[in-house]
Amino acid sequence: MIKSVLVCLEGSSSAESATRLAIDVARTCGARLAGLAIVDEPDIRAGAAMGIGGSSFKHERDDALVADARKHAADWIALFERRCREAGVPAQGLEVVGRPADSILEEMDGHDLTVFGRDANFRFETEREDLQTRDAILHRATRPVMVVPDVAEPALGSTVLIAYDGSNAAKRALTSFGNSGLAQGRTIHVATVDDNGARAWEMANRGVQMLAPLGIPASVHNVVSLLSNVDSLFALATELKAGLMVMGAFAHSRLRNLFAGSATHGLVEKSPIPLYLQH
Amino acid sequence: MTGATPTWAVGPFVLYLLLIAVLPLFLGRFWEHNRNKLIVAAALSLPVLVYLFGNKGAEGAVEVLHTAFDYASFMALLGALFTISGGICLRGSLIGSPAVNLLFLSMGALLGSLIGTTGASVLLIRPLLRANARRGYSTHVVVFFIFIVSNASGLLTPLGDPPLFLGFLRGVPFTWTFRLFRQWFFVNFALLAVFTVMDRVLLARERKRPRRDNSDLFALPGDDGPLRLEGRLNLLWLLGIVSFVFAIGSFGGRLLGESYLRSTVEIVGLVGLAALSYFTTAPAVHERNRYTWAPIIEVAAVFVGVFITMIPALSYLAERGATLGIVRPAQFFWASGALSSVLDNAPTYLTFASLATGVANAGSNLLSAANLGGLAAHPFGEKLLVAVSCGSVMMGAITYIGNGPNFMVKAIAEQHHVRMPGFFGYVLWSFAILVPLFGIVSGVFF
Repeated sequence: MIKSVLVCLEGSSSAESATRLAIDVARTCGARLAGLAIVDEPDIRAGAAMGIGGSSFKHERDDALVADARKHAADWIALFERRCREAGVPAQGLEVVGRPADSILEEMDGHDLTVFGRDANFRFETEREDLQTRDAILHRATRPVMVVPDVAEPALGSTVLIAYDGSNAAKRALTSFGNSGLAQGRTIHVATVDDNGARAWEMANRGVQMLAPLGIPASVHNVVSLLSNVDSLFALATELKAGLMVMGAFAHSRLRNLFAGSATHGLVEKSPIPLYLQH
Repeated sequence: MTGATPTWAVGPFVLYLLLIAVLPLFLGRFWEHNRNKLIVAAALSLPVLVYLFGNKGAEGAVEVLHTAFDYASFMALLGALFTISGGICLRGSLIGSPAVNLLFLSMGALLGSLIGTTGASVLLIRPLLRANARRGYSTHVVVFFIFIVSNASGLLTPLGDPPLFLGFLRGVPFTWTFRLFRQWFFVNFALLAVFTVMDRVLLARERKRPRRDNSDLFALPGDDGPLRLEGRLNLLWLLGIVSFVFAIGSFGGRLLGESYLRSTVEIVGLVGLAALSYFTTAPAVHERNRYTWAPIIEVAAVFVGVFITMIPALSYLAERGATLGIVRPAQFFWASGALSSVLDNAPTYLTFASLATGVANAGSNLLSAANLGGLAAHPFGEKLLVAVSCGSVMMGAITYIGNGPNFMVKAIAEQHHVRMPGFFGYVLWSFAILVPLFGIVSGVFF
């Protein structure tokens, strides 16, 4: 059962959705929340190519950006703590100075689940967008991660779709989800996408059998489709009105993903519903 | 009589320019301290000084002394212009409409040659950023500011950009740069035209998007009162500098001789004007401009090494210029420009001016790299010097490291929450806009 959730705070609307969803999860599971705001001082103060006479201007610029980042962090923590108080959920804010990916990966070891917005930009002082942090977390996280898109009313809904391909990552994701308490009171579906319908059915059935000892009944789906894996899963999720999708993240090597593409990437980029991922 | 300059003597100069470019990137903390800059300068200057005093004896000592006076004059002018521009503050509530932005950039294009590209940048960047504070996207405003105000504007007088002042110190007449008016007008006009179109298109797009807070895009940004200029007395000191430098350049030789007396009078006069500016400017004006001595001290620390290490390098190029394959004006324009874009443009200008001396000499020894006045008066040398001047000054805009004010403007913009491109992002901007324009300049003028 989830007892502690780490929420990565940041100013985007998807981060806002992530906070509200995390509060919902905490209320459901009786968990505590920790709101993490990051001041990316290493990247702000990193060396830069500059002309003669630029050092003092860089120093002044760095100080101003760090001060601005600290102010944002303090504001986000204050807002997070107020929201949690209003929702009656125990919570604590935390400000960390460091590179975002490293800071989040270090903090997440102390929590059962980490939640962040899909479009969160933790390097907001120096970069327009921050896919790098998100990808680093999804590749290196040792604990489950929930990625939340920008939605008006974030909620996990009453139906969950588990995408199962038999990989170690998928097994870990399925097992940790089963133990999290999030399956309670929800309808669970396990789906495998494959060109061979029989093979897909057998694989999905194995997934269902893994949930059985945890007392979680689930339905089997084999998906044979001309669409890509990502689009097939989306189509099934829409059909089932799923509010959450569970899957293993980056099950294959980076080299293979480079040539064949990554289902995780595609799902994270396009999913209209929250994703529960584990590497 | 000493022989030709050995090739190895050029090494410290080349290495020093490379270190100035890469050390801030890879050893930023180390390079931040002026003491460390002086250590690097000293380490690379030492072999040069040993060569000059050891191999060239009295002749080398004279070269070092002459260079020391050049350095002092150079720093006196930079310091004076920096102090005076730091004492002027443009205040008032402005709205960042395309017309206002165009006015700012046009003013900057004119001012750059009067108070230096750094001075014009310091004076205009903060008011321009305040005026555009409510625009959702103003990156292009700052990028074109760097192109125009921080670089292309400084072509018309020796006060405009350090390379041209170095040329002036080495004998190029004060009014010689006036002949660069056609290139100056062409480039600045073209950039202003492109900017105006881009600004209008981006503003039209922005107006179609609803603002999060439903505010008016052009509501007055702040309560800063009517438009006004603080520190106006500095305009008088600025006029003093322009007149003084012109007078020294035009009459100093006749009245004071070409000796160190002329340089001494120049240095004392410039320092005096800087002191007048500093002590007659209200501290509040300096405070608003965030004026400190730190940038000019940093420039002084770095240029000690530049001036010493370039002594044998310039002699080498003047001796062997014609054999290096760069012989035509267009080649000088692109070569000096290409190097100015990645190394500081002041030493690059002198490098190619010396090379041009060697080319124009064509085997004779009539022209000297120590006196560029001869090159400026030579029928072919003049064409080469025009190309070098244009290349060094204009192409300093291609990267953030090509000219001093570039990074300064970027840093100030980021403090005002303008999202500036990174090093390579900015290079994409300059390759898309400046390089094709310089291609036209090369075809038309060289």
